[in-house]
Amino acid sequence: MIKMEKVTKVFKGDVVALRDVTIDIGKGEFVFLVGPSGSGKSTFIRLLNREDVPEHGRIFVAGRDIGGLSGWRVPYLRRNIGYVFQDFKLLQKKTVAENVAFALEVIGKGPQVINRQVPAILELVGLSRKMDRFPRELSGGEQQRVSIARAFVNRPLILLADEPTGNLDPTTSVGIMRLLERINEIGTTVVMATHDSSIVDSMRQRVVELDRGMVVRDQARGVYE
Amino acid sequence: MFSFRYVLRETGQNLWRNILLAVATVVTVGVSLAMFGGFMLFQVAVDSATARWQDGVEFIVWMNTDAGTDEDSSVRNQLDESPGVERWEYVDRRQSYEEFQEFFADTPEVLEIFTAEGVPPYYRVVPADPAPDVVEELGSQFKGKPGVRTVTFAGDVIRDVQNLSNRAGRVLFIGSIVLLGASTLLILNTLAVAIGNRRPEIEIMRLVGATKWFIRVPFMLEGLVQGLLGAVVAMISNSLLRNYVIDQFSDADGLQLLAGFKVDDAAMLQVNLLVVAIAVGVAVIGSNLAVAMHLNE
Repeated sequence: MIKMEKVTKVFKGDVVALRDVTIDIGKGEFVFLVGPSGSGKSTFIRLLNREDVPEHGRIFVAGRDIGGLSGWRVPYLRRNIGYVFQDFKLLQKKTVAENVAFALEVIGKGPQVINRQVPAILELVGLSRKMDRFPRELSGGEQQRVSIARAFVNRPLILLADEPTGNLDPTTSVGIMRLLERINEIGTTVVMATHDSSIVDSMRQRVVELDRGMVVRDQARGVYE
Repeated sequence: MFSFRYVLRETGQNLWRNILLAVATVVTVGVSLAMFGGFMLFQVAVDSATARWQDGVEFIVWMNTDAGTDEDSSVRNQLDESPGVERWEYVDRRQSYEEFQEFFADTPEVLEIFTAEGVPPYYRVVPADPAPDVVEELGSQFKGKPGVRTVTFAGDVIRDVQNLSNRAGRVLFIGSIVLLGASTLLILNTLAVAIGNRRPEIEIMRLVGATKWFIRVPFMLEGLVQGLLGAVVAMISNSLLRNYVIDQFSDADGLQLLAGFKVDDAAMLQVNLLVVAIAVGVAVIGSNLAVAMHLNE
């Protein structure tokens, strides 16, 4: 599903964010990206979403080389990739349902699709009863559930999550991880960058450790350290 | 695929969120286009008023309505024999009345008063030498002749009007160009603010796979709406200018030249279409600059 071949990303000032990274992530895998701050986890995720392009190497998503993707095709790539943020990035003036519907509306889905898929995804994340609430009326965990619902409502092949539990307490984090696990079980490939060792240790999924832009460990059913 | 409803809703919301800035933009676009429209209408009116002075005609010999054949022949003979006259054209009573009807087409009450018999025939004269003093001397030879009502000179009236028109036109034209430039910048700034206000939404849109045009179109449409509303303001202003200023000139008593100072419906339509076209142009330029500078999808 995801393949990186000798990928190097250098930022201005010769800061090497990723160095010669080669990795292969299969369909339906759940992969934790771990490592200290500045190790390249976020850059890894941004490259998969074509928010950045590497200086060297090639990246394949669903068999397609996304490095050579022309600008107008990038939105269509992103429709196959859900994105969950640490800070939720919910639109405060929209309700829960409107936030989720927004993701469908802006890719041109009609009212029929929206009216069918939004309640279904809110049911999946356990927020059916709060679909008319505004983000400020929700707890942090609930807001992250909305963020996940928005990322998953279009049923993407891949879900990228950048520190999704970073702003949540441990108990709430467990709930979010159960939700991501459930989405993964449906067949979605999940790549999650995290600093949360307890979550990584409890889930026992594949762990890719980055350090100064290099893959220093790639362990099936791994732990944080 | 574009969702028409979505685009309209977003455009409306953008305009509403920055309503004061949007109003300022519409007013500025409107004022600048009104100035441009005023310049155009003034030119049209001057062209209309000076129509009979075109093609080198420097003076007109107006005959009395009751001038006899002998008096008429005398004037013709003098025109034919004068070496200073290059050519002349006789506008008979019927043609003169037709011109009169055309001039006063918008004021039927004036047309009702005059009949063909009440409108004088005249001679349009093209002198060999258009120098003002030569023309003055040549035309003066016809003053006081039997059957001649008066002699009017282009130099007396047309040049004044044309000079005034040129000067006023230049001021209006330059002013309108400057203001149109300001309008473009104002549309750019209004959209920049709108884009700034919607930055979080734009980020989400990008990441969930909205196309570049789906993100851009509501902003560009917002600019277009502002431009078109400005055009509406300018068209209202044009209409007021025509009905309450230009037409008032033509109603002024005793001013023969100003009788033709008018803008007909066809010219009005052309000016209004030009105003709309410029409004669209200003909006498209401002919007494109704004999205190019502030929307980096």
